[in-house]
Amino acid sequence: MMKTFRKIKPLKKAIQELERSSELPPNVQDGVLHTSLTENEQALKQIFENCSDIVFRTIIINEQAKMLLVYVDGLVEMKTLDQVLIKPMMFEGMPNGLKDAGSVGKIVQDRLIAFSKVDAYSTIHEVIQGILKANLAVLVEGESQALLADIKGFEKRSIEEPSAELVVRGPRDGFTETLRVNTNLVRRRIRSPRLKMESASIGDLSQTDVVIAYIEGIVQDPVLEEVRQRVLRIQIDGVLESAFIEEFIEDMPFSPFPQIQNTERPDVVCASLLEGKVAIFVDNTPFVLIAPMTFWTGVLAAEDYYERALYTTFIRWIRFVLINISLFLPSLYVAITTYHPQLIPTSLLISVAAAREGIPFPAVVEALMMEFLFEGLREAGVRLPKPIGSAVSIVGALVIGQAAVEAGIISAPMVIIVATTGIASFSFPRYNLGTAYRMLRFPMLFLAGMLGLYGVACGALAIIIHLTNIRSFGIPYLSPIAPQIPRGLKDVLIRSPRWNMTHRPKLIVGEEKERIPEGQQPGPRKGGLNE
Amino acid sequence: MSRNKTLFMIMVIALFFLSGCWDRKELNDLAIELGWGLDKEKNNQIRITAQFIIPSNVGTSQTGGGGGKGKSFFIETGTGKDTLEAVQKMQTKLSREVFRGHRRVILLGEKLAKQGLAPILDTYSRDPEIRLRADALIVKGHTAKQFLEASYPLESIPALGALKEHMQIGGMGDTSLLNFLKAATSEGINPTLPVINLTGSSKGFEVTGIGIFNKNLQLIGFLNPSEQKMFLWIIDRLNQHILTANMPQGTGNAGLFLTKLNRKIKPSIQGRTIKCDIVLSGEGVIRENNTKLDLTQAKNLTLLEHVFEKATENQASQTLKRVQTQYGTDIFGIGEAIHQKYPSQWKGLKKNWDKQFREVQMSVHASLVIRRVGLTGPSMQLNNSDIKK
Repeated sequence: MMKTFRKIKPLKKAIQELERSSELPPNVQDGVLHTSLTENEQALKQIFENCSDIVFRTIIINEQAKMLLVYVDGLVEMKTLDQVLIKPMMFEGMPNGLKDAGSVGKIVQDRLIAFSKVDAYSTIHEVIQGILKANLAVLVEGESQALLADIKGFEKRSIEEPSAELVVRGPRDGFTETLRVNTNLVRRRIRSPRLKMESASIGDLSQTDVVIAYIEGIVQDPVLEEVRQRVLRIQIDGVLESAFIEEFIEDMPFSPFPQIQNTERPDVVCASLLEGKVAIFVDNTPFVLIAPMTFWTGVLAAEDYYERALYTTFIRWIRFVLINISLFLPSLYVAITTYHPQLIPTSLLISVAAAREGIPFPAVVEALMMEFLFEGLREAGVRLPKPIGSAVSIVGALVIGQAAVEAGIISAPMVIIVATTGIASFSFPRYNLGTAYRMLRFPMLFLAGMLGLYGVACGALAIIIHLTNIRSFGIPYLSPIAPQIPRGLKDVLIRSPRWNMTHRPKLIVGEEKERIPEGQQPGPRKGGLNE
Repeated sequence: MSRNKTLFMIMVIALFFLSGCWDRKELNDLAIELGWGLDKEKNNQIRITAQFIIPSNVGTSQTGGGGGKGKSFFIETGTGKDTLEAVQKMQTKLSREVFRGHRRVILLGEKLAKQGLAPILDTYSRDPEIRLRADALIVKGHTAKQFLEASYPLESIPALGALKEHMQIGGMGDTSLLNFLKAATSEGINPTLPVINLTGSSKGFEVTGIGIFNKNLQLIGFLNPSEQKMFLWIIDRLNQHILTANMPQGTGNAGLFLTKLNRKIKPSIQGRTIKCDIVLSGEGVIRENNTKLDLTQAKNLTLLEHVFEKATENQASQTLKRVQTQYGTDIFGIGEAIHQKYPSQWKGLKKNWDKQFREVQMSVHASLVIRRVGLTGPSMQLNNSDIKK
């Protein structure tokens, strides 16, 4: 892995170099700014040819100094620009005139531009990048440097409750499409200088900001290094969603199981960071990646930690049962009714046989048809506009549930089986792990239809073997069950009370293994309050 | 390498399609058989009778509504030299494959049982499709075919009714075939099978005791229901038992509902005589008290316990005596108990055990405990003066 990495990097640099030089028009020498404003303006205008959203604004101050403002219309905050920069400059001019100052640019930077973040750059490339990243570029006559002021001011969505991860109890803010807002949501929860956020730009054309966040000391250094390397070596034209990053950095691209968790919830990100995981923020998407992921984090919901421990343990077990139902129920039904009818209690067998009387299809075909229809219904419901979506589900339920049974095409037990499976498959707290299970149901059905229970057992075995083989950034996917870490079971098989979870996950965490000191179990003081 | 891998994958996938499905059977291609009867035919042949369910008639009343459904079962027969041939003959009359995996009841005609069951039993332990957990019953006075043709109002499948009746009387239903085969193959115990009888109006049936077999698996006699209870208790296969006993002075009777039934067989060999002490124990609740006793008094309870114990001892020793003198076959497993306690002596005894069994000196001892007496001490309808404290 390291080898390919080393090979790629120089190549990448060379390509970028080549692209940069070809971006620049021939009359701009070496990509460096001139002292002449006219030449600089021409060069920029040539580069931004046919870009109608780039604004060039020339201002003359005190009839002496000429300035050029360049920005992307709509990405900078117009109000601030007008009130703080253009208006005072045009009407009031320089406070003390220009004569005593050494350089116009210096004065402009020090005294005129009242923005918090201003930097000077001297290459055209940097200026272009700055403008495209929603900065205001100020070029002054006679200066070979341009000032870039950060007055980002584009439209953004407000913070809303994430629609995919709802809670009854717990914070209701979710990530938005703006990277800075997202990192702020996390920073507000972890106010420690040890929360680090390394940023990078991925995508040759999109130049998308990516932030790798972790907590120093808690994160495991090899894991962090691995994440860093995998993210930085990505070569892509544009990053539109964090999935683009995910597909480049996951361990087993062809596994049905997701190896990187994604979430819209800042509290989930913070909890993961506190366990020693690494979060990857990507601009323009509310979905933040969390690595490494284990299978069990896929079946635990955020709310598990906000509800009381006993109830959560109960719900967790219901979830485990439902998860197995969602994978095995249709195939078990098919296998048992067509290969091993001996296994069903006699009275149940009679009922099932009575229901199957006159059904034209074999059980396996029936099951495949119904599962196919169910998936189709789900897909149609997700994609359609909201008002039509509910109509589809009503029609679907009527057609499949009622009419098909009454017409004698589908047996009633099969409808029950498919409906139960459908409900069970929606009990996954993490959508992407649920998709894996929904997908695997079909090969399991084939196996059941062809080999009976033997096939189901083979399929289950294959899935288990595969699961134990997966590593997410070096962490075994099934830990802490396999390899077994007794202390870790406190947060998998049961949900231990907070004061009892004294240690962070053993395989994931770096140096600081202890989370909280022991002996914090609450309870009345011995001897009562009077003592 | 990758070409080999692809080839391997293709071969694995082909394996599924080439070998799969060979024993796949849809439920609506099976004739599900629940009851099974065997009768003696002429020319040393046997006749089999099977009771199949008609699935479209047993389903829920979802589509029917009117209730005018036909019978939920039908009968088909076949004859042949052995079971397999008979089944083959029967299959020619059926559109669906006979599915025997859910057979619950095997009925044996009395005539066939008297002739001996040894020639027909092999298939029940050999054929993997047949399960051993079935109830085998002897039909007394009728043929199995007549029995299977009878209808029974409570159960839609009459064969299941026979099974459930057997379970109701406190025996462990569903396993009598297995127990029969076990007893037939072991030394020191002779097999038995429960007996079922059509009631006069042929609108039902009742379990009427057990049939006793000798070592050649020939039916040699019957025990009546109360003897059957004692027999089940002695072989430790009784779950619950209701014991009713008369008070010695003729002052009413009382009923005890017994659970936690237990027994101990303690054989002892002294010289040439074999003695056998059988201890029957149980715990129970008084469910009926037609005496004038106030049951809150400890001495009355002791009195009642004593009465019940006496009654049990009497019934049990009568049963033992009758089996010993009339049939002379050891259905209680006394021989097994001796085998366990005196392995070396048993070697000499076992050759002639049936004869020796008649000579065993049996003694029965019962120890019953009354745990609870119900909600009241004395009967509520009695006057205070009548109650015997």
